[in-house]
Formats: sequence, C-alpha cells, structure tokens
Amino acid sequence: MGDVEKLYEDYKDHADFLTIYVREAHPTDEWQMKSNGKDKDDVCYAQPKTLEQRVAIANDFTKRFKYSVPFGIDEMNNAANDAYAAWPERLYILDENGRVSYKGGNGPFKYNPKEVRAWLTERYGEVEHPEANSASDKKS
Amino acid sequence: MKRTLKWMGIAAAVILVAAYTVLSMMAGGPRDALLMVRYALPHMHRGVLKVGDAAPDARLVALDGETRFHLREHLSGRPLVLVFGSFT
Repeated sequence: MGDVEKLYEDYKDHADFLTIYVREAHPTDEWQMKSNGKDKDDVCYAQPKTLEQRVAIANDFTKRFKYSVPFGIDEMNNAANDAYAAWPERLYILDENGRVSYKGGNGPFKYNPKEVRAWLTERYGEVEHPEANSASDKKS
Repeated sequence: MKRTLKWMGIAAAVILVAAYTVLSMMAGGPRDALLMVRYALPHMHRGVLKVGDAAPDARLVALDGETRFHLREHLSGRPLVLVFGSFT
C-alpha cells in the first residue's frame, strides 16, 4: 500500500481517496504465503469470521503502517467486495459524477497504482517532489 | 490400438505435468498451486462493472467498529480513488 499512500499525499488536494478493507487474501487458515510467516513479515491472521475480528485486523494494519488514507471496512456480507469484484485487491477511480472512470485489474498481478497515477497526472499534472528533484540534480 | 492408447496416456500425463508446473510457477510453489486453486480462484472475479457505469453503493464500517457510512458519501464533486485490499 506504500504506492497508494504516496498517490494520496501527492493528489489529495485534487481527488478523494477511500481504502476499503475486504476479506483477507492469505490468512493462516487458507492460502498462507511464506512471506507472511512469523520469521518474515509476520502477518498471521485467520480469515475473520466476525466483524469484530475484521475491525481488529484493519486497525492492526493502519497502526503498523501509520496508514493515513481514509478507511472503510467491508461488512461481513462482503457487499462492497461483491459489487466491485475487488478481492484480493483492485483499484478504481470514480469520476465527479460517481461513474466508473478507471477499473484496475485484479491483484496481485494486474494491480497497478501507476495507472491511477497516470490518470491523475493527465488531469492534474505531475506533482513536484523537491527532494527527489534535488537528488537527481546532484547526480547530473 | 494398445500402442495408441499408451501414447495418448503419456501425452495427457505430459500436458498435466506441464500445466501443474506452470501453475506452480505462477503461484510460487507446488503447494501454493493447490492452495490457489482451492482458496483464490473461487473468489477472483472480473465483475460486471464497466467504465461509464454508475458506481454501486455499499455500507461500510469505520475503524472504530461502530460508525457506518456509505461508499458514495465520499463522492464530493471530485474524483474518488477506491483502494480495495487486505492486510495479508
């Protein structure tokens, strides 16, 4: 989600952002990834069975990454997930009139924040990064 | 006849092994291939939403676990980027 946070920081003056936490992709009781293990990233959770469990994991996530993007949690009926065919991860951009303007591909392979950045850049222009620019100036 | 059957069997086995190998490479390992078929594929959908469609609404829960709000409440006359995902 690091890329998304950067997008949010760059474009929050122009666009609104909303993260929607949906059912887990790689819980311990389903397809757990080795990289999620205790000795690595240490994100070991069983698939939430109750809303309380889902809320608890969402809070762990936002605390661990000091995640600042506005946040909502899908209800246990997975209404948002089903309406947007979201799982395991997917990006959308809705336009000013509430219509789908961009529909990203299914994660993880087709999940691409760069496409969202391109959309925002086309409309609002490139966001200047003073630090990044000065670093590249030094190189050249 | 017997020979044909034998070769057909061998060909089928080769195709199966090749398919499973490709799946394993995509998923990250032989065990992951099984788990992907069991847990991931049933939940992955292309969905029916298309560019230009009105964005569906859904009721969401805030991080406090109590407050409810609707996705479309976040439409404020500006574009809205939706980021769907989970922790793991």
